[in-house]
Amino acid sequence: MNDGSDWALVAVNMIIWSGLFLYLLRLQRQLDRTERDS
Amino acid sequence: MRKIAPWLLWIWIMVVIWAAFFYAPLAEGFVGQSSRILFFHVPMAWVSFVAFLAAGAWSIRFLAGGRRVAHDHAASAAVELGLLFCVLATVTGALWARVMWGAFWNWDPRQTSIVLAMIFYAAYLALRSAVEEPETRRRLAAAYAVLGLVVAPFLFFVLPRLTFSLHPDTVVNLRGRIEMESRMRQVLAASSLAFTVLFFWIHRIQVRLKARAERAPLGRTRP
Repeated sequence: MNDGSDWALVAVNMIIWSGLFLYLLRLQRQLDRTERDS
Repeated sequence: MRKIAPWLLWIWIMVVIWAAFFYAPLAEGFVGQSSRILFFHVPMAWVSFVAFLAAGAWSIRFLAGGRRVAHDHAASAAVELGLLFCVLATVTGALWARVMWGAFWNWDPRQTSIVLAMIFYAAYLALRSAVEEPETRRRLAAAYAVLGLVVAPFLFFVLPRLTFSLHPDTVVNLRGRIEMESRMRQVLAASSLAFTVLFFWIHRIQVRLKARAERAPLGRTRP
């Protein structure tokens, strides 16, 4: 049922979601720093 | 825990993506692999509903709990994110519709009701932009979002069930039962939970950004 194209789809999905995650983590850390400094 | 939680969520979502493609079987009666969109499309629609309810709840807290600006920020952030998830649910739904029904848009009752929901909550943002005086803006927006506590359930759950729909049986059908293969049900539940947690995480960040903008020089605080 599953072939190479499924793995490609899964990989693209994982990369997109991981990118969003890293962006949110960075944003959260920036906010932490700003709130600590102010 | 605060540092570990986002990584746990990341692992959870990675597992959901893997499970959507390799653990859950294909649904009967659907073209090719299209039924796998279910595990993203339904949770997105679910989260937009949760967001609109949350906006109503925070608006009630704003009106009844001393008019705290933080509650207004929480309500407006929830509406913004609810709209974002609404758009994502509509786009994934349109892609699925193209495969199953031959056209991106069919004016199906469920498609129509989600558009009405988007218009209703886009009007919330328009209302916020239209009122200059901050206290009046917050009060009017809160009253509007409370009205949404009646409108959103009607548009998401009542209207689509009133007439014939091209959509398959709803997850919880009219007989009050979930008639879905057990592995599909597990992945759908896991995905819905992951998206709900993701919503509250992004919401928390959005509220903090709004609070920071509020402290910034005048002119950068709206809408």
